[in-house]
Amino acid sequence: MSFKCPACKKEWPNSKQVARHMFGTGDKAHRGWIESQGYSYIELLLAQTTEPGNKSYEVLAELIEKAQDKL
Amino acid sequence: MSHAKYSVINTHVHNIDGVAKVTGRATYTFDVNLPGMLHGKILRSPHPHAKILSIDTTRALELPGVKIVVTGKDTLGIKQGIWRRYEELCDEQVLPLEKVRYIGEPVAAVAAITEEIAEAALDLIDVEYEVLPAVYEPLEAIKKEAPTIHEGVERNVNVTRHIEWGDVDEAFEEADYIREDWFKCSGQAHMCMETRAAVSSFTPEGKLTCWASTQSAYYTQGLLAGVLGLREGDVRVLAPYVGGGFGGKFELDAAMFCSAVMSMKLFKPVKVVFSREEDFIASKRRTPMFYYVRTGIKKDGTFCARESRMFSNGGAYTGMGATALYLSGFFHSFPYKWRGYRYDGYRVYTNTLPSTSMRGFGAPQAMFCSEQQIDWICADLGLDPFEVRRKNGHTEGYEVPGQAFIASCGLEQCINEIEKWVKSKGKLPANRGIGISSCGFMSGGIFNWFDSPYSFSSAVVTINVDGTVELHVGCQDIGQGSNTTMAIIAAETLGVKVEDIRVHSGDTAHCPADLGAWGSRQTLMAGNAVKMACEDAKKQLLEFAYAEMGINIVYDLDIKDRWVHIVARPERGLKYEELVKKALRAKDGQRIMGRGYYTPHRKGMISPAYSYMMQAVDAEVDPETGKIKIHEVMTAHDCGQPINQLGLIGQLEGAASMALGYAYLEDMPMEDGKLMNPNLVDYKVIKAPEMPEAGIIEIDTYEPEGPYGAKEAGEGLTNPTAAALGNAIYSAMGIQMKELPITPERVLKALREKKEQEAQKK
Amino acid sequence: MEKQVLRFKVNGDEYEVFIHPKTLLAEVIRDHLGLTGTKRGCETVSCGACTVNVNGKSVKSCSVLAIQCEGMEVTTVEGLEKNGKLSPIQRSFLDHGSYQCGFCTPGMLMSATAFISEAKNPTKEQVKESIEGNICRCTGYNSIVRAIEAVTQGKYKEE
Repeated sequence: MSFKCPACKKEWPNSKQVARHMFGTGDKAHRGWIESQGYSYIELLLAQTTEPGNKSYEVLAELIEKAQDKL
Repeated sequence: MSHAKYSVINTHVHNIDGVAKVTGRATYTFDVNLPGMLHGKILRSPHPHAKILSIDTTRALELPGVKIVVTGKDTLGIKQGIWRRYEELCDEQVLPLEKVRYIGEPVAAVAAITEEIAEAALDLIDVEYEVLPAVYEPLEAIKKEAPTIHEGVERNVNVTRHIEWGDVDEAFEEADYIREDWFKCSGQAHMCMETRAAVSSFTPEGKLTCWASTQSAYYTQGLLAGVLGLREGDVRVLAPYVGGGFGGKFELDAAMFCSAVMSMKLFKPVKVVFSREEDFIASKRRTPMFYYVRTGIKKDGTFCARESRMFSNGGAYTGMGATALYLSGFFHSFPYKWRGYRYDGYRVYTNTLPSTSMRGFGAPQAMFCSEQQIDWICADLGLDPFEVRRKNGHTEGYEVPGQAFIASCGLEQCINEIEKWVKSKGKLPANRGIGISSCGFMSGGIFNWFDSPYSFSSAVVTINVDGTVELHVGCQDIGQGSNTTMAIIAAETLGVKVEDIRVHSGDTAHCPADLGAWGSRQTLMAGNAVKMACEDAKKQLLEFAYAEMGINIVYDLDIKDRWVHIVARPERGLKYEELVKKALRAKDGQRIMGRGYYTPHRKGMISPAYSYMMQAVDAEVDPETGKIKIHEVMTAHDCGQPINQLGLIGQLEGAASMALGYAYLEDMPMEDGKLMNPNLVDYKVIKAPEMPEAGIIEIDTYEPEGPYGAKEAGEGLTNPTAAALGNAIYSAMGIQMKELPITPERVLKALREKKEQEAQKK
Repeated sequence: MEKQVLRFKVNGDEYEVFIHPKTLLAEVIRDHLGLTGTKRGCETVSCGACTVNVNGKSVKSCSVLAIQCEGMEVTTVEGLEKNGKLSPIQRSFLDHGSYQCGFCTPGMLMSATAFISEAKNPTKEQVKESIEGNICRCTGYNSIVRAIEAVTQGKYKEE
């Protein structure tokens, strides 16, 4: 099972790692895709640092999973 | 093959710059004096955040003896940064055009015939500012209502880095015990004995020569060319002797920039030297970091998962902060095997002194958190801190998933040696404890964010008719002894003595490009280049020896101690000097020359090789005053094959002194963005009476990637000390120190809180 | 204030310089006499890089006015060697690797020289105290202490 990054199509073994990659890359293409899903890239990033748990990763991972069919 | 017997390597060799340094002959940029040279001074912003509305230099220009006053308007206004590949991280105009972002930022520069006149002229420059609201702490700077420090950078989030492997959540599920802690790591000043200094001389041919106190003449050359609109080849950078660097001197600083800008306008040499106060307030510092660390472990001591989040106070500009952000998170996992690991790092702009690289590069901060928490977990679960580290430690052949391949690793032996040492100390008196910390560090990075087209390290060796050797390298000696280390490698490879080698370094006009002295790269990378160059030269020399001696094809020749000989029958041979003469004649009078170079390829994501160590700190706390006395430091250290024996001891003791300073003495308190102690009275560095004995136990390994098996030594050694001291205090007093530096006030506060907690329990 | 003449000996040589009274000894040594071995590392008399010997005593040359040295004998690091022969402390520094970047080294050598000339069988603590006013950022001091101890223990003779 592998998951593709919706912005650059790179593959990872699980959706959370794609999320990690999207947070880490942070360029226009990756931020743009996140924003196009109705989320703020910066808000997700900052929530990860300032709130307990890994909600940001979970939210993004879910979006990535949903997008797999369209890739 | 480890620690084999060598003629020169790992023997007691005098530092080759020693005579110059102990006789006062060594000339630093600080000492450079040229005919007609002018003196430059810099006017600095008194505000942490302000628009520059206007700068009127009329009155200053009228002062007799003043030759020029420059501001950002007199420059190309290029935003530069050392991460040249990433435009968004090139965010710094050394003389800003529109606004200032930290107290101390350069605003204008003056050149005059004397220092006094230049200084007086500063007061005559009229700057009109529109003061803007400022923010000083990263957690404040990310708030929606915080002022924007760099246009277009949302919430002042400068860089983020994320490292992850394994299924972190699943790994936490497997843990029997989870602990989380918050830590606050301070900044630190490099505090080189030679402050930032540069002398620039621009001549009518359109060429710039810049003497600079720099860790990388090549970087200085490239950065200057970039901001001045010159070709790199028309810029010559000379680093005569350099009075310390420690990570703070390979970026473009205001001494280099302002002296060059003014010289280009005047066609006269201009010297800019930072005062000690300027050096404190306006050269970038170690990155302050806020760390949240969550660790899951099985009750048998097996590490399961670690999840850490880190905020760094980036200050006003990026500098090398992006690399520190990544490396901190990477080394925070060292030196252990984690089933699941996640690191989220965020670098936030604030209106304070920019933060950058400093010896350890984010790892001392990372270890302060990681290694202390491990000891607290061991205490919580009744586990042995040595056993837990041994159980989970890196081993030879391990791959940090997707990050690094560990080819040589002496960690287990390091742990065993320190365990023996600690046990030999027996029971300690009250208020005294020994704390440990292990770590691993890189031997140079594989990354090329500077976007250099050159090999990371290069070397050229030339053999003169009398057998003396010219060795041209680009690596930079900043006191760590790289000239000597390269001479040792060259002497060993060629089969001659160190005194036969003259090392040429620190001049971009004569030396090949090299990325410079940072990231613990020079012994491995420049060393490999030197070895390759010398092997090339030796091979050419031996071709003539084979012809001369006419020996059976099955025999090999080699050179050792100036004796060219058959390896199998070393008594048969000829003198090296004789062979050189014949080789030169055979080549129509041309000297034998060898070339070598090294760039890491396919060496994982971080580094070609990793050093390992465990350190123990024996410390005593005075419960009345909170004062700390360090009794002894002992380190078991794996740097593969040591090359420069005296240099290694010096690096260990020096690193310990700097790291101890970071742990309990050095602090950079700021109020409203203003540094409160910018002098050597109030900024406390360790002095001779406070420095403890710092012993070393060398652990044998052989690193295949390093020259003769060598790895880094000197930067990794700053990593464990703050953590080891914290663990010593925990062992002695039962208090957990989560904030650096460990000052007497903080110790007393922790002791009080502990007492209160114990009273409440009763 | 008017300039005045200063006559003093530096490294055995007589000098006559015409200076402003507020000129520091460090400035005369470095800027007027061109002896740049002596360094400066601070403005607060804290680092010791400027240490020289005045009439055999260890002095931070940034803390005295040059005119205070009228008629006195100043020794700087350049004055330690004699006809190319290094002094015992210099040779000990070489053997012990007691320097790295070298910027503090001249000051260290001068503090050590003054101490060695007076100390009789000093303890390690006393050796450490003799360089308490000299900051070194590179070595961690211990190699410097070992070098000084070796000289006070008689392991190096004048050549």
